[in-house]
Amino acid sequence: MRKRVNATGIMVLVFFLVLGVLVSIRLTGLGSQFPNPIGGVLQRVHSPVQNVILNAGNSFKENTRVFWNFDEVRRENEELKATVEQLTGDNLKLKEQVLAGLRYNELDQQMFNSPNIDKYSKIGASIINRNPTAWYQTLNINRGSKDGVAVNDPVIVALGLVGKIVSVTPTTSEVLLITDSEGQVSASVRGSTGSPTFGIVEGTYKRTTRLEVEGNLQMLLRRDDNVNVGDLVLTSGMGGVYPKDIPVGKVEQIQLDGSGLLKTAYISPFVDFDSLEEVYIVRKTGGQ
Amino acid sequence: MRRNILIVVMLLFSLILPGTVFYFLSWGGIKPDLLLLFTIYMALHHRMLPGALWGLGAGILADFYLGRHFGMYALTLTMVALLTVWLSQRWYRENFFLIALLVFLVTFVGEGVIALLNIVVGARWAFDDALRLVLGVSVYNAVLVPITYPWIHRSFTRGWLKYRPKYER
Repeated sequence: MRKRVNATGIMVLVFFLVLGVLVSIRLTGLGSQFPNPIGGVLQRVHSPVQNVILNAGNSFKENTRVFWNFDEVRRENEELKATVEQLTGDNLKLKEQVLAGLRYNELDQQMFNSPNIDKYSKIGASIINRNPTAWYQTLNINRGSKDGVAVNDPVIVALGLVGKIVSVTPTTSEVLLITDSEGQVSASVRGSTGSPTFGIVEGTYKRTTRLEVEGNLQMLLRRDDNVNVGDLVLTSGMGGVYPKDIPVGKVEQIQLDGSGLLKTAYISPFVDFDSLEEVYIVRKTGGQ
Repeated sequence: MRRNILIVVMLLFSLILPGTVFYFLSWGGIKPDLLLLFTIYMALHHRMLPGALWGLGAGILADFYLGRHFGMYALTLTMVALLTVWLSQRWYRENFFLIALLVFLVTFVGEGVIALLNIVVGARWAFDDALRLVLGVSVYNAVLVPITYPWIHRSFTRGWLKYRPKYER
């Protein structure tokens, strides 16, 4: 005789199963640091394969770029020539300002000369994979806890801030990019007058979209804050994650809020996240 | 045994390829969800229970690999497998257009569930962006059907992935 199925019992079971999964999803969110040894093994097994595929892809993309995007390369070349001319002029101006004692030369000096960064040790790492889903802007690198990498270590390149470590396995780590809206950065805007304005920089999907890795960053400010287009945005050193004075980007546009009390500064990052291949991890623990 | 190992290897590649090969073939930041696509293919070639179990297994693998929101993919891919079997029992014919439509619909539902769960647990996604991503991934997965389905179907019916229910053995 066929066993009778109790529909209510099944419904209750399914309800509690789904509830349990929802609780699990909530508790193991970004930065929860729950132990995941199986994930670590998977990453370790995958990383050599991923590295080979990503390197081959990067190499293919770079070597054939001129064929895929001839117009873009030509336009980019013209823009670069114009930029070089402009930068040459700017450079002369900056040198004059430096001589005059103005503190507006962080970019010109390169961040690694910054005493705030120099006091930490840095580890070079290669990118082995990007997030397989489009829901988060993260990337995986080939350094892990065996190399001394820890959660919340800042990740930088020569031009500026990339993000922070959000999870670590013995041989790999995951970096949350600053362009993700979950990756807020405590920052200060510094204009040519030198006085800083503090705030939080976060990824935005309002102007372009957060799906684009090159997406803009935004910073909410009070209407009276003295922030102008072209001002530099640097990490403020507050919040305990990022050291002070790492370049984040440049203010591209400022929009007044509907209420008239606030304004939003849209920031273009210095780092080209789309073509990143190597990064530096700043070791804050034990590296000082 | 060989069949199961091959499926696990394909699941692992479904996790690697979107972040590597498809990173270069992404379309406005949108990449296909190969794991979801392969789960649909597996469900199309299995009965309800084994299909759902493969969906659950694929989801658990993804949850371990991604290392966050544990259970999100396990729940979603099990639902995806169940929905695929349910739909395929009603209008599965060996017709690429119908399979592409099925993949589009099931991916839309699966990605929709992921979006919903992400938002429920606090992701700050605008509705427009989430919809754009869900639609984009669904279209991308459907576009991959004519390229991937013929050889996967051949393998499931005549090749290494051939599935034989117990009563046929």
